[in-house]
Amino acid sequence: MKLDTLIKFQNMDRRWIFLGMGIAILLPLLFPITLSFNIDERVQSLYDSVEEVPAGSTVFISADFDPASRPELEPFFRANLHHLLRKDVKFVAATLWPSSPPLVMPIFEEITAEYGKEYGKDWCFLGFKDGKELAIKAIGENIPETFPTDIKGNKIADLAVARSFKQAKDFAMIINVSAGFPGTREYVLQIQGQYDLKIASATTAVSGPDYIPFYKAGQLTGLSAGMPGSAQYEQLVFPDGPREGERLMATQAVNVLNVGHLFIIVLILLGNIAFFVTRRVEEAAP
Amino acid sequence: MKQLLSWMALLALLVALPASAATVTVEVPPDNDGLNLNVVWDEATDPLGWAVLRADGASGEDWTVLKMLPGNARKLSDKVTTNVWEHPPQDTYRYQVVAMRSLVLVDEMEEADRTAAVLAAGTASAIATGSPSAAWIRTGIGAKQYGPLVMLLIILAVGVMMWKFANDVRAGKPVFIRRIPGIDAIEEGIGRATEMGQPILYVPGIDELQDIQTIASMLILGQVAEKVAEYQADIIVSCCIPMVREVADEVVKAGFYQAGFPDAYNPRNTRFISSEQFAFCAGTNGIIYREKPATNIYLGRFFAESLILAETGFVNKSIQIAGTAEATQLPFFIAACDYTLIGEELFAVGAYMSRDPRLVSSLKASDWVKLFVVISLLLGTVLTTLGFPIVNNLFAISGG
Amino acid sequence: MRSTIPLVLTFLVGIFMVGEYFIPHWRYHQWTAVLLEWGLILAAAAFLLGLFNLVQVNLPKVMNKEEDWGYKLVMLVSLVGTLVVGFMGNTDRLSDGQAYKWLFDFVFVPLNATMFALLAFYIASAAFRAFRARNLEATVLLVAAIIVMIARVPMGEDLPLIGEKLPQFMNWIMDVPNIAARRAIFIGAALGAVATGLRVILGIERSHLGAD
Repeated sequence: MKLDTLIKFQNMDRRWIFLGMGIAILLPLLFPITLSFNIDERVQSLYDSVEEVPAGSTVFISADFDPASRPELEPFFRANLHHLLRKDVKFVAATLWPSSPPLVMPIFEEITAEYGKEYGKDWCFLGFKDGKELAIKAIGENIPETFPTDIKGNKIADLAVARSFKQAKDFAMIINVSAGFPGTREYVLQIQGQYDLKIASATTAVSGPDYIPFYKAGQLTGLSAGMPGSAQYEQLVFPDGPREGERLMATQAVNVLNVGHLFIIVLILLGNIAFFVTRRVEEAAP
Repeated sequence: MKQLLSWMALLALLVALPASAATVTVEVPPDNDGLNLNVVWDEATDPLGWAVLRADGASGEDWTVLKMLPGNARKLSDKVTTNVWEHPPQDTYRYQVVAMRSLVLVDEMEEADRTAAVLAAGTASAIATGSPSAAWIRTGIGAKQYGPLVMLLIILAVGVMMWKFANDVRAGKPVFIRRIPGIDAIEEGIGRATEMGQPILYVPGIDELQDIQTIASMLILGQVAEKVAEYQADIIVSCCIPMVREVADEVVKAGFYQAGFPDAYNPRNTRFISSEQFAFCAGTNGIIYREKPATNIYLGRFFAESLILAETGFVNKSIQIAGTAEATQLPFFIAACDYTLIGEELFAVGAYMSRDPRLVSSLKASDWVKLFVVISLLLGTVLTTLGFPIVNNLFAISGG
Repeated sequence: MRSTIPLVLTFLVGIFMVGEYFIPHWRYHQWTAVLLEWGLILAAAAFLLGLFNLVQVNLPKVMNKEEDWGYKLVMLVSLVGTLVVGFMGNTDRLSDGQAYKWLFDFVFVPLNATMFALLAFYIASAAFRAFRARNLEATVLLVAAIIVMIARVPMGEDLPLIGEKLPQFMNWIMDVPNIAARRAIFIGAALGAVATGLRVILGIERSHLGAD
């Protein structure tokens, strides 16, 4: 192969890379493939910690994600709701991201309706609270004062599912679906140690490695990172596959992710081969 | 038949027998804020469940059901009031723990009916009294976890060392700061922008003003603005948070004034784009494409938009200097920018650029504390491996 | 005077808030909570200032038909439109059928997702450019990246000889050097933050106060 070609390849217009990536993502979407994957220990631990929550208990869900992180986190969010509701676990939800309520409220309503759960009695959504770390601190200290009403304007004292919970530690566990800041790190740093809370986290793939130390230190009972984590959790919650008429979004999408990964790996390897060959030829030249 | 009847009678007797009353004590947690009491009880066997009741005051009889707990519970941490303005804590609280014989769904009852229902369905313990007691200083000594004390000593040590090293620097003692290419590149970038007749783009991150990285970025912006004014170039500051925009505006104005070019300051160059992350990213990308800055400086707290900004700057052929303590974004900046300041280097920029004795002294002080931390880590690892967690306890922090 | 009062205020409030961690007494926290609320109120008020700045910067460009004024017009119209629609919708603005909800579902969500999706392509081009084995450190980075990426892909486990060991290598890389480096950055940044905070509280750093 000519030296010029190798140099051109190394310095190619990035739009060729974009085109290649586009094709790599599009093909598995058009021609679906199924690749098996293993369950990560951290995701298994998350699943087990939710399994341990007794029926009839109440958990606190902090749904902190936005449209950008929906593909990574919504599959986990949905699977987690199914996991909780079929165990007859109640939940009180809230969010620290302003763009989250319109995303999550329809999902809450859809899935709770499937299990015949009643708003106010089996679940409620307290809405968005501004303040980031301060809001989390306030959730740790005093939930009724932080959320005097829910998203529909009902007083907390009037909601059977929420009125007896004054602080975060009163819940059986906290499940934080977190796309970034504020999210899992702030929950761990602000209130986990202080109140010895049981917190499980689902987060984006970029933030996952950052929270591994928290998991290793026992500050998180489980950790699901990115779409692979969501896909693994889906497999645990739905071991027999999707329910009729439904799809396991992350399980399907992770195949696309894997092909994308392969494309990048091949690109990097080819780039390095071209780099080494070019360097050899240039060093050998008189 | 007779045997069956006698078994049934025995069963009825067992159900009718009250569960044994537990022994309850009320403890004050160490380093307490004065709003928490721990109710602890013991009981050999687990009943169906527990109900914890509380009455406010030394002689109050208005018992309320605090919480229903599973049969294996033996402790409840009670926050006696959630609104100190309207309901300040009382001197004394009285507690009873009821071993439940049958289930009572208190959530579905009116508040007034709950206590009677619980008492009727279980055996109440003797009343235990507790008085919340607030600590004025958190030392961790009570819990034998000395982390807060050590932290206070570290902060005081940093302050004392800053004062001492500042005096040393003023007295002329030489101070070595290793070369940080990224910071040197800031001045080179400003010079490049002046030669090309293009502006400098400064992005102070997307976090709120109270974040320490944003504060550090504002402090650096002042020095960068002063240099930009000296070189008679333009600086565009793209802000994600309105409050940050206001402070950045003042800082840039101060920089131009300090350099002696107040008329060159243009308030329209300090812009609030959007507080929505990707809208801000799109807006800043637009600035890069339209205004074609020669140098892009990203210093502060960034998230997913970091790579998009850096790649757009790369396409624009800008010199790019990034600095953040956000570990998740460092790989993207390292891959796409020419220079990256990692973690604490962001906080060293001010001292490095100005060589002000007071700023340099704080750098030196934090380096000495870092050395102390490294030694503690090594010592702690060795001692803990040998079975002596002394250093662990020194840095441990107890709950609230 | 203009800079003395802010410096004194910064010192007093700074010391007061640092004390919040070391003084657990509820009476102390009563007042720190009030200060934090004031901070939130100020931040909310600053949103109005941001709004004015957006209009102040972009409206003259539209009026004078400067370069790319059309995009600025779109931005201003969207700003006003979303505000009006949001106020009109009131507490029901997120319900189905509301204009605000429609804007969220069919404008905001796709745009937000599109910007985030750009990352997939940008990562590919940045990785292609950056992962070259130019020197020893770059080679170590490249090898670690390849191991982690191949181990994450299911096909990686089917590779002969190394397939079974790859997840172990990946877990070691993620659990040992990765966490060690992140912790080191975290500790260093935290100490830098303490020093910066002290400088601001003690008034050593003053550039954030603006011109005298």
